[in-house]
Amino acid sequence: MRLSFFCLAFAAAFLGAAGCRDRAAPTSTWEATPTLSASVAEPAPGASLYPLDVSLRDQDGADIKVDLFRGQPVIISMFFGTCPAACPLLVTNIKRMEASLTPEARAELRVLLVSFDAERDTPDRLRELARDHKVDPARWRFASATDEQARVLGNALGISFRRIENGMFAHDSVISVLDRDGRVVARADDLSADLGPLERTVAHLGLRHE
Amino acid sequence: MKVLSVPVIAFVVAASLPANAKADASMAIIGGGTYRPLFPASKTSTAIAVRPFRLDRVPVTNADFLRFVRAEPAFARDHVEPVIAEPGYLGHWESADVLGAAAEPEQPVVNVSWFAARSYCAWRGGRLPTEAEWELAAAASRTAADGSRDPAWRAELVRLYGKPGPSRLPHVGAGAPNFWGVRDMHGLVWEWVYDFNNAITTFKSGSDGLRFCGTAGADARDASDFVAFERVALRSSLRASFVLKNLGFRCAADAGAEMHR
Repeated sequence: MRLSFFCLAFAAAFLGAAGCRDRAAPTSTWEATPTLSASVAEPAPGASLYPLDVSLRDQDGADIKVDLFRGQPVIISMFFGTCPAACPLLVTNIKRMEASLTPEARAELRVLLVSFDAERDTPDRLRELARDHKVDPARWRFASATDEQARVLGNALGISFRRIENGMFAHDSVISVLDRDGRVVARADDLSADLGPLERTVAHLGLRHE
Repeated sequence: MKVLSVPVIAFVVAASLPANAKADASMAIIGGGTYRPLFPASKTSTAIAVRPFRLDRVPVTNADFLRFVRAEPAFARDHVEPVIAEPGYLGHWESADVLGAAAEPEQPVVNVSWFAARSYCAWRGGRLPTEAEWELAAAASRTAADGSRDPAWRAELVRLYGKPGPSRLPHVGAGAPNFWGVRDMHGLVWEWVYDFNNAITTFKSGSDGLRFCGTAGADARDASDFVAFERVALRSSLRASFVLKNLGFRCAADAGAEMHR
């Protein structure tokens, strides 16, 4: 919780500093990874991501496709490993959602976190991240993507990113819930969003054994 | 034959290349340079170095795209996955694989999504140009690699962009070639680029909120570059599955890559 407190403090500082801003909607603001525009793709309702056939490399160095968890409910997001604040918070938020589930629903859930920094987020580094965050390796997968594959996935998830100086990325922090067929059925557009609806969606998906 | 002028050499070389590579004459070499984004990623990254690359001389046509759809039926409008293109994809064609009266072969293809456009370019062995590449190529006037400081050229661009869209799209290649031998960069259709959503254009981000004060001009590289604002505005309003009746694309390739048409 200490981490999220810091982030909120940063956010408050930035919001306070902004003078001439006509904010259309309440949004989050993170110091090291400024949130990019929401002007990117959200899939059409009912559109499965899986036909996009996005290729990834996972923490074990295996070549995988974005549909590796087809048939399970999935929480999916994108990040970069050296990100100081927003990305750890992203993982914290997902773990919090996971903790809210019944053991049965949790056993159904899979988590896929895709880095757009393939250069530095090597399999070794991704394994380290998984260890540091103490996530269940059977249900969580860390992966990285080439710039092109990350952009295809990001455009489908409504996550835009761009490299800025010092090896950092500016990016959207969007958490999406995919149903068993890969359709986005719930999403949180930024890190301050209420996770309640996502938790309920995941819980519901976890109950549906087909 | 000891001394050949450059065009003669180019002709001889083109004539002796295999068909595959000869088709590559459809692409022009764009010399590298520096692109200064209208809204830089940060105060310290105001210039982006662009390496030499190749760019289609004209936008992709209906006929070009029809060849792709026939080869890759997953991109026919009756098969396309909803995540790849919204309804209306290739909606001006008579049917999934017939252009019909409303879509002439040599008109630029429109009503194509970013996902479909990038797949087309990959099918040809290329890719979509980055925003930096596209803008660098588009900065050329008829006579100079950088026409951005030429008042006459800029006036012409404003005139071109202000022209109401024709009821029927002209054929590709009708525009005069620019310095690089590329046509129709301005005034025919809007064009997808690889990183079309690079610009930060909502009021969401803490570091970027102030940029859009002063009718979005306060922090821009060059507030008088009116047509560049138009392009940023259009690109930032797009989503990758969108299709528009005046939005097409052209492909790029790395300088050494092998392309086929």
